Amino acid sequence: MKRLRLLLGTEVPVACILAFALFPWLWMMLSSFRPDEDLTRSPVRIIPGALTLVHHIELLQRTSFLDNLRDSFVVATGAVMLGLLLALPAAYAFSRFRFPGRRALRVQFLVVNMFPVVLLVLPLFIVMRTLGLLDTYLALIMGHATFTLPFAIWLMTSYIDGIPGDLDEAAMIDGATRMQVLRMVILPLVVPGLVAVGIYLFIASWNEYLFALMLAGRNVRTVTVALQMFIGENEIHWGLLTAGGTVVALPATVLFLLVQRRLVGGLTGGAVKG
Amino acid sequence: MKVEGRALPWLLLAPALAATVLLVLAPVMETLWLSLHDVILYRPRSRPFVGLANYLALLDDPAFWESLGNSVIWVIAAVSLQFLLGLGAALLLNRQFAWRGIARALVIVPWALPSVIIGLVWTWMLDFNLGILNQVGVRLGLLDAPVAWLARPDTAMAAVILAVVWQGFPFFTVTLLAGLQGIPREHYEAAAIDGAGRFASFRHVTLPGLAPVIATALLLRMIWVANSLDLILVMTGGGPGTATQTLPLYAFLRAWSGANYGYGSALAVVLTLMLLSVVVTYAVRSARERSA
Amino acid sequence: MKRRTLLAGATVLAATPLARPHAQKPVTIRWWYHFDDPKMSPAGLVEQFEKQNPGIKVQAENIPWGGGADYDTRLYTSIIAGIAPDAAMVKFNNLPRLMEMDALAPLDKQIDAWPGRSDISEDLWKLHRAPDGKRYYLPVQFVVLYLYARQDWFAQKNLKLPATFADFEGAAQALTGGERWGFGLRGGAGGHDHWCSFVLGGGARLEKGGLVSPEALAANRWFIGLYTQKHLFPPSAPNDGFQQVIGNMKAGRTAMTIHHIGSANEMTAALGDAITAVPVPRGPQGRGWTTFGDGSNAILAQGSNQEAAWKWISFLSTGEANVAFNKLSGQVTVTTSGAQHWAFQPQRFMDATTASLPIAATLPPTPQTADFTRTVWPQTTQKALLGQITPDDMMRVFEKHFFG
Repeated sequence: MKRLRLLLGTEVPVACILAFALFPWLWMMLSSFRPDEDLTRSPVRIIPGALTLVHHIELLQRTSFLDNLRDSFVVATGAVMLGLLLALPAAYAFSRFRFPGRRALRVQFLVVNMFPVVLLVLPLFIVMRTLGLLDTYLALIMGHATFTLPFAIWLMTSYIDGIPGDLDEAAMIDGATRMQVLRMVILPLVVPGLVAVGIYLFIASWNEYLFALMLAGRNVRTVTVALQMFIGENEIHWGLLTAGGTVVALPATVLFLLVQRRLVGGLTGGAVKG
Repeated sequence: MKVEGRALPWLLLAPALAATVLLVLAPVMETLWLSLHDVILYRPRSRPFVGLANYLALLDDPAFWESLGNSVIWVIAAVSLQFLLGLGAALLLNRQFAWRGIARALVIVPWALPSVIIGLVWTWMLDFNLGILNQVGVRLGLLDAPVAWLARPDTAMAAVILAVVWQGFPFFTVTLLAGLQGIPREHYEAAAIDGAGRFASFRHVTLPGLAPVIATALLLRMIWVANSLDLILVMTGGGPGTATQTLPLYAFLRAWSGANYGYGSALAVVLTLMLLSVVVTYAVRSARERSA
Repeated sequence: MKRRTLLAGATVLAATPLARPHAQKPVTIRWWYHFDDPKMSPAGLVEQFEKQNPGIKVQAENIPWGGGADYDTRLYTSIIAGIAPDAAMVKFNNLPRLMEMDALAPLDKQIDAWPGRSDISEDLWKLHRAPDGKRYYLPVQFVVLYLYARQDWFAQKNLKLPATFADFEGAAQALTGGERWGFGLRGGAGGHDHWCSFVLGGGARLEKGGLVSPEALAANRWFIGLYTQKHLFPPSAPNDGFQQVIGNMKAGRTAMTIHHIGSANEMTAALGDAITAVPVPRGPQGRGWTTFGDGSNAILAQGSNQEAAWKWISFLSTGEANVAFNKLSGQVTVTTSGAQHWAFQPQRFMDATTASLPIAATLPPTPQTADFTRTVWPQTTQKALLGQITPDDMMRVFEKHFFG
């Protein structure tokens, strides 16, 4: 009976949501194994007439996709580290201190994000050029980390807000400095928030196209730019695009699979009682 | 000790502030400045100052008002649907079941794909002749005949919203799932002792506990969706006609393909101001709630 | 370790010769290109060129096309920031804007002294002359749009391949029915190529008043009516791009469409002998208009290695190198010598291309053209196809866009 309730109340709805979430991706994956002529057959063949690895082999052997994956990985990992490094102390300051201009400053961070990026890329290009960073990992890492910073700070602040301030005070009465509180009290408790924000930063950087197109390109070329190469002026290389598109979703998904258990029990009742 | 206490928040904020000022605020200011000029991209040497002329022109531009209307529909529909679906998924994935870990990971697949892929895959699934959705719809009797979803003004907006909901709901799932961990377990236990059912404990424990994260996530997502144009650009280019042309897309087209960078900048500034007013309203309200 | 990874890109950049143009090392020129097929690399051509020109290194960079917008955005940005490449592939619709920016180096002197000049036909040279009479573009590839037709369906219905608008409409009517349509219209961005053939070929002219003359309005009314009243194009036409148009043809849902030799191989792979091509039909007055799809190289005025850049781009437009180049780009050689032994697509498509040359033209190079093709044409035409505005209103919008 309990098993049935779990099945109907939880597992079946979860399966439905997963079906919605995965169908387009699975459909894309399936089509990456189809021979070209299968793609323009009408009516659509749901079960492929034949399966082929030709698109995947071409992707690996005749394009630079593996290098591009590496570049994307370096950039996204760097953006997560830099982003968290900047966002965590800032969020702690917003959450625990009351200082003049606090609210205006918080809104300021958001304002920055409200501006359509397509109109900022030209001035930003010139900034990066002046810094001599064009076409480096650092340019994209800095660009991605900074432009996701408002989201990271705001989300982080609301997670830290959820940790009772009594804990800080108790630790400080015991003689800890603010920085020690941040490191030893807040950091362990805010792990679910770090995971959520980290995933957010990783995905935002991984999927970003405009900066990757404009601020890099030759030495550093991310997957989003590489995928765009499969869309020509007169031809879309659907096989390459679907093969590449299927692969591109995997790193973030696997990463989340690895870190999702951290989404449990960061803040248990016992810890709050202190 | 007191002095250190006062300087400390600024020290904590300094790195984030420095990066933002250099890489974002400076370009924003530059664009703001450009919006007061007649900037035609291909005339780099002639940029006359025109004051507010670009802003006044915008008031008389029917395409601006139409894009604004489209933007409102786009933001409200996309954000609310993403949120509802994301919340539902987060609550379900917070329960205990055997394959929870893998389910949590798989649900973020849509979010982990670049917009250009999402746009092309949905365009293809919605295709009139070769799209799987039309074919299945007709075979199951849900549709009388294939529908050209992206070529009809009455369905194109719904189609791009469907794609952006698909893309964006995992963001809410992940953020809210993390927020759910912050609700102390004893609150649920206390509610259960008081005899609260599942729905009552959702209303009186889960929702209030999640409220700060929900509010922040909604706000951030709204800003993101209001500014995003890549899915629309890939799927319809703003068409058919101007049925799916939102404000940032219009600003982009005017600035780059129309080469009228001054006018495009003015459109972007107006969009920012409108979003800003929403945020300020939110900040004032939440401050009032807190002091109440 | 982490630190090293972060800085790896910066080190590579600093080590490239372009950071030190003053050095007495070999000259390096940066060249931007875009090919349809990401599997094609110009590395072989670069190697051959560098062997012939020991003092010059070529750094070829593949820029995403992104419907033209991405390529242009990057090009403009790099020009404005003062770090444009030495040479780049370019198109006519950009010429006026690049000229206004003073971004291009005139090539007249070099072209006049160039032995390869006579291997490119006078027609092509004429098309590649800028409005100010100078030459900034060196042709490297081209296509001409023609009409694809399902000759098997034409044969079944005893129809002849269309030569006039009347033939075209008759055939489209006869071949429409069930889940099949006479003509696959590209109504999304880039579809002006289709529209131009019928409306500019049918009497409209791109000159002041020429888009709202009675002939122009009549031609446009007729063409839009083929969709709104006679339903000869698929319902999805207003949003269809080139991939839908070609996909529908390959899937056997449309009997005709307009494209060029760049898609000939995939068409024959799907349809074999059933597919053929003819020049686009001509209008009632015998006029015709088809899009000349140009592709050139230009030298950017900012660069300090213009001489080396010329050597590279003129190499690409010479004889066998140009044939090899077009094998990579999937288009047609601009050289007369190369065209004689062309074997990359079935002959009938090459014949249709050649037969289309007499009516091949381009939109006039004005600063408004790029915005017209990318935004104004699709938005306005889609509104007319959807009945939101009349066909006459549509022409008035175009007239206003070009001539105020």
